Amino acid sequence: MKTNEVMKVLARHRGDAVIVCALGMAANEWWAATRSEDSFYMHGAMGFAASFALGLALSVPDTPVWVLNSDGSLCMNTGCLITEAGQQPKNLKHFVIDNQVYQTVETMPMVNQDGADYAGMARAAGIKQTATIDNLADLESKLPEIVKAPGPYFVRLRVEAEPEYQRVPPAPYEGPEMKYRFGRAMEKKLGVKVFGPRGY
Amino acid sequence: MDVNDRIHAELVKAGVKLAATLPDDWVNSLIRRVEKDNTIRNVRVGREAETICICAGAFFGGVRSVAIIGNTGLLTCTGEMATLCLRHAIPVFCIVSARGSIDDHKVYQEVQGRRTIPLLQAYDYPYRIIDDPDDIGSIPDAYEWHRLQKRPFVLFLTKKLLGVKNA
Repeated sequence: MKTNEVMKVLARHRGDAVIVCALGMAANEWWAATRSEDSFYMHGAMGFAASFALGLALSVPDTPVWVLNSDGSLCMNTGCLITEAGQQPKNLKHFVIDNQVYQTVETMPMVNQDGADYAGMARAAGIKQTATIDNLADLESKLPEIVKAPGPYFVRLRVEAEPEYQRVPPAPYEGPEMKYRFGRAMEKKLGVKVFGPRGY
Repeated sequence: MDVNDRIHAELVKAGVKLAATLPDDWVNSLIRRVEKDNTIRNVRVGREAETICICAGAFFGGVRSVAIIGNTGLLTCTGEMATLCLRHAIPVFCIVSARGSIDDHKVYQEVQGRRTIPLLQAYDYPYRIIDDPDDIGSIPDAYEWHRLQKRPFVLFLTKKLLGVKNA
């Protein structure tokens, strides 16, 4: 399955979930598929989208939070799985788009390419519910159960590497604007106060 | 009330509801004090940069948070502080042990003592050093100020303030 196909399926099953995207391919493809304002598109801190999502999930425990991580980002901070397991957030789903390459940097091969079992690592870290899905039919059939189950839930989405990949453009606004767009979207959607009366 | 009780009380006054922590000898008593408070969720992490990013995520949930870490750990996460927090203008309040000071004679802390503050200055991360118990009461002001600064802020706690004996 291809990444953009996966994103479309995830978008159909998303419901009310707030999305946090790892920088690069995951963020760009989610933006291309959804144009979603109540999603946070990381511009940096590679490896830490899962940590950001955990902080958000713990802060809004009644709202589903999904992190759309990537294999490169996970490899940069596998310890996030232990921290996540330590908190057992019921509202957090952790998806990893796994194409075994660094897609946005000339599809260079992933560290230990195809040699690491990310779902097994998540289980060993203490996340009891995990799945590895490598085709769209299974994704369509298994997602409703994954969405319904209490978290944490770790899902490895094994997609094709795309050597002829044409980069989809990222969201057309940068860091500070994203902060305010996402923050205001959270205030509107969840009724929380992200910003004070003077806007900061 | 000991010094850690007082720091905790000021964090409560500032509205902190979430802490992300990784132990360091000097701040362990503060972490334990925060953990005793059921109104503050403590997230134990395995690497200091997680504290920064967890607090950044909490910001968007409308929850006030604090990262409590050691000076060595602060050095390891300045990149994430830059590429997440500076890039997106996200405030994160950090409480950090002022390791490597002239009264800290641990050989593995000396570089931190010399280079941490110049590094913070290079990134333009604001910081304050609390050495006097009378200044603990400034924490709520510092908290509000760091939100206005829209970037990571570091509050260093000294050995003298914390009354550390052996570490």
